[in-house]
Amino acid sequence: MGKPKVGIYGLTGCAGDQLNIINCEDELLKIFDIFEIESFVMASRAKNENVELDVAFVEGSVSTEKDLEHLMEIRKKSKILVAIGHCAVFGGVQSMFMGKEPWIERYKKVYGKENAVTLTPPLEPKPLAAYVKVDAVLPGCPIEKEPFLKLAGKLAHGIVPKVPDFPVCAECKWKENECLLLKGQLCLGPLTNSGCGAICPSMNIPCIGCWGPIAKENWESEALLLLEKGYKPDEIVKRFAIFGGTERAELLKNFLESHQKQESGK
Amino acid sequence: MRVFKLKRDNFIPFMKGLGKFGELWGPVKKGDHHVYAQASPEQFDLKAIRTIVPAKKFFLPKKSTILKFKNNEWTEHFDVKKRVIFGLHPCDIHALNIYHKFYTRLYPDPYYLKNREATLIVGLSCLPDEHCFCNLTDTETVNEGFDLFLTDLEDRFLVWIGSPKGDEVLKLVKDLIEETTQEDIDEYVAWRKKRRSMFQVSLDLEGMPEILTFNYDSPIWEEMGDACLSCGTCTMVCPTCTCFDIEDEYDIRTDEMDRQRFWYSCVFREYSMVAGGHNFREARSERLKLWYTHKLVGFMSEYGSPACVGCGRCVVSCPVDINVLTVAKALLKEKPDAFWARMASLKNMEVEHA
Amino acid sequence: MLERHGSYPEVSTEKEKNENPYVPERARIVRKFDLTKDVRFFQVRICDPDKVMTWTTNYKPGQFMMISLPNAGEAPFSITSSPTRPGLFEFCIRKVGKLTSKLFELRENDFIWLRGPFGNGFPVEMMHGKDLLFVAGGLGAAPLRSVLLYALDYRDRFGKIFYLYGAKTPDDMLFREEFFRMKEREDFECYLTVDADPTGLWPFDIGVVTTLFKYVDIDASNTVAVVCGPPVMYKYVVDEFLKLGIPDDHIFMTLERKMKCGMGKCGQCVVGHKYTCVDGPVFTLWDVKNIRSLI
Repeated sequence: MGKPKVGIYGLTGCAGDQLNIINCEDELLKIFDIFEIESFVMASRAKNENVELDVAFVEGSVSTEKDLEHLMEIRKKSKILVAIGHCAVFGGVQSMFMGKEPWIERYKKVYGKENAVTLTPPLEPKPLAAYVKVDAVLPGCPIEKEPFLKLAGKLAHGIVPKVPDFPVCAECKWKENECLLLKGQLCLGPLTNSGCGAICPSMNIPCIGCWGPIAKENWESEALLLLEKGYKPDEIVKRFAIFGGTERAELLKNFLESHQKQESGK
Repeated sequence: MRVFKLKRDNFIPFMKGLGKFGELWGPVKKGDHHVYAQASPEQFDLKAIRTIVPAKKFFLPKKSTILKFKNNEWTEHFDVKKRVIFGLHPCDIHALNIYHKFYTRLYPDPYYLKNREATLIVGLSCLPDEHCFCNLTDTETVNEGFDLFLTDLEDRFLVWIGSPKGDEVLKLVKDLIEETTQEDIDEYVAWRKKRRSMFQVSLDLEGMPEILTFNYDSPIWEEMGDACLSCGTCTMVCPTCTCFDIEDEYDIRTDEMDRQRFWYSCVFREYSMVAGGHNFREARSERLKLWYTHKLVGFMSEYGSPACVGCGRCVVSCPVDINVLTVAKALLKEKPDAFWARMASLKNMEVEHA
Repeated sequence: MLERHGSYPEVSTEKEKNENPYVPERARIVRKFDLTKDVRFFQVRICDPDKVMTWTTNYKPGQFMMISLPNAGEAPFSITSSPTRPGLFEFCIRKVGKLTSKLFELRENDFIWLRGPFGNGFPVEMMHGKDLLFVAGGLGAAPLRSVLLYALDYRDRFGKIFYLYGAKTPDDMLFREEFFRMKEREDFECYLTVDADPTGLWPFDIGVVTTLFKYVDIDASNTVAVVCGPPVMYKYVVDEFLKLGIPDDHIFMTLERKMKCGMGKCGQCVVGHKYTCVDGPVFTLWDVKNIRSLI
């Protein structure tokens, strides 16, 4: 078997994930050694867009029609499509749509009018999975070197990698940290995918959830706990929403409304 | 059991003497809590009640390489260090005894055995805080499972010898210990009485196996499941939780393939999920129920005693107050206020479930 | 080993002492072919010549092995061959996940790695002198084939033998040709059925597996019944067993759970106080009644 053919692409995002791949520095040569890099605009002159890819890494959310077109092309030619970074996996901060109005209203608020001049027609920002089948994900904002290398280790053998199914708390306990939630801090550890190694809580900084919500998370229970600890509902919702992705946003709105109703009923 | 006396002033040289056996590890302050850390004996906090993570980390490391793959063959990989672990309380030692039974039955675990062999366990007496309930689990004193055990009588320690290994190691510090006197015995008896009077938790834990069995279909599990964050903290901090997962890791830097074993938890969603996606315990309540029934009923039938040693780690660690005591109280219909108040309010919210 | 005339293989669930039970043994795929569109048959041989015969005679029908590929992980698979036919191990593997996808990419002569055998297996000794009633559904034929071949190879030790096997369609039936030939044997009764026959060429019964019970003629008080298949099938088949009057502790079934070690340590297969990997995967109906959430 030859070297796996790889393409690394970016849609709408800060390009921080691609940058962190370049930041691997010492390991970069090894990566270029193990994989045949066919396209990596940020780091390589190679640009063979007409070859079939074994693996495509895509960062950024789908936020324009051009993004969508690009994503479709990538999907068509790739065996394994890996969404890297929060934007690609969950939609990123640009997709939290906290406002109550429909997207186009919010768009007008920002750009002043409906037909603002942009490079390409905009779309409501969404994660890759809203449009195409995503085979593997590597969350994080941005992605980290160690988890990326671990993922690359699987892909090197053609194995579709999987992130752990457990929350940051597990890794946090492996680090033998004091629980920040118990200390009254707004820590999103229990709701967040692990893999980061609990970096923030290990430095006494509560988890902000940048690896995205874990599947079937129990955010209701944590929200309630935080209310009890004295946090305001909108404070909780704001923190949850930053990296909560498109799916959680709607639920959070319901939570706020239901809480307000309960308060006013008292 | 043979017992000697160690003057408090001699404690540091005593520990340093034992340090000739291997690395010195003991309870050290981390924030408001404690952890077992490699340190010099001056840093050991003898008043530490419970460490964040129990001493199981020395025997089943949080993450370790068990096999290496090279030239088409898997070979075993050990990373064993000679260690003196100081400061284990009776509950911790009881937990290790459960670990020992578990990891040496059927297929003795070579990694556990090697780690255990390389370790000198030096226990330390303790005075309970408001969360300790080893008096209810019959684990407040310990007769086996340690090499040496120190009873802290303020100006002196009693040094109990629990194994031939302990006896051998004591030769390293033989100049520091002395014979006990009648006064020491009297003090010890008084100390025991004082300690016994300090326990604050009162609950009938003895009937738990039957009560849990009766309550298999109780709605309490659903309610607890609604609150549980599935964060896995309870299982990580529980000194008798043994579950692990295994995964291969290929390092592209070194071209090395490792098979790794790491702590895992029955409260995680994919714990009972088989390839293809069928999950035998999809509901949080099912997973929670497994933890409590396995701990308090399952172990009974296999080992004759429940696998709870009353260390109180789950009590102080669960962010939403699900622990052996609240579960037991709920099953005994003594619903604890704070927890159930929150549950009632969760129900009132009627939020849409994710 | 082969010279043990008249005796059945001794069973040991533990490997030799001092051996690290986590270290997999290398084996070679000697033959493979597709049984259905997503189930593949693998015949493998242990590479170490000193271990070939000891390993392939020292297991019990119903036991399983942990199969692994470096980097892809490890999972349990029931052995579908019988210790009465030593030299090779046989497995039926369905493509469902990361590991099995990789296994399907392998060619003959490629390596795989094995640990085991693990699990309790079927109590073949207690089956001696009894009538046997085997009921399989779909992929359940894989572990059942092991005990069936065992019973047929030691035919004299058992009373009547009935084998009922149901699959969704003729194309979903494992070892179809093998069972067709078995139907011709006169020393046991083999009945096959399919839920539906899109081909229109199926020559035998059509209907769920329980419809085959009309052919069964056994001495219920002296019968061991075994059912292997998807869990949904168990209730209906067990009802039939009970109707026949077979006692709870003579009804056996194999269960599937997630397993990572196979040795009662990792905990992932635990049900109640039982570890499926060491206390199972074969359980009696009595166990099932006593251990909640087993099926």
